[in-house]
Amino acid sequence: MRLVVWVVLMGATLLSVASGHLRVALLLAAVKALAVGLEFMELKGAARAHAFGYGAFVALLALVLVIIA
Amino acid sequence: MEARPRALEDPPGGVLLWLIVALELLTFAIVFVLVALLRRESPAPFAEGQQALSLSFGLALTALLITSGAVAAQGIHRFREGRLDDARRWLLGAGALGGAFVVVKVADFLQHLAAGHRLGASDFWDAYLLSTGFHLLHVVVGLGLLLGVAARVGRRAFDDAETAVAGSVLFWHLCDVAWFFLFPLFFASA
Repeated sequence: MRLVVWVVLMGATLLSVASGHLRVALLLAAVKALAVGLEFMELKGAARAHAFGYGAFVALLALVLVIIA
Repeated sequence: MEARPRALEDPPGGVLLWLIVALELLTFAIVFVLVALLRRESPAPFAEGQQALSLSFGLALTALLITSGAVAAQGIHRFREGRLDDARRWLLGAGALGGAFVVVKVADFLQHLAAGHRLGASDFWDAYLLSTGFHLLHVVVGLGLLLGVAARVGRRAFDDAETAVAGSVLFWHLCDVAWFFLFPLFFASA
């Protein structure tokens, strides 16, 4: 699973460069932050409220940045 | 069978480190918003500054952090399995990749300083040098924590292994997450 996440993270990075659009790249950054949170920070095994709080924070941050951009 | 979720008061990495990570994420979020606002208000200096950035450097830095994070996660997995010698090797590997990140970032900074891209040169260089410098500071702290625990795993016992080992790696992942948002703001949209 960690290898799959690594592939997703690298793929999303290349995709964000290929797209050349800031909004797309920011949304991909949020996807990467969620993947790292769930798998590497072990939030998939944490309390639901904890995992949800992290996910909500990342989603809100991405939304604010996309609106500003 | 799927493991039961941990209690809210027992997060992976420990409560203390999660409080620190939450505060750091909030601080970084403010930095990202300020950079995004500056980018919107000063599009010309930003576009000009981005032309001076090396996408190769940006991609190399991102790949190093992502790979280091994945290697550190593998180290924690081994640590939880009780395979401590394996865990130490994975964590040292993550630290080596983190060290490479620091070397590449410092080279990037020196290249820009030599080209006259200093604080005060433009809004873009203020934003780039301050925000990525702030991130580099966190990487250096995270690297110190990571290497400190890596050297000790399997050799000397920890008073609180969860906070010391998983917490240090958690802080390291914070550096990943922060970079994920800095990368598009400066590199990916150039």
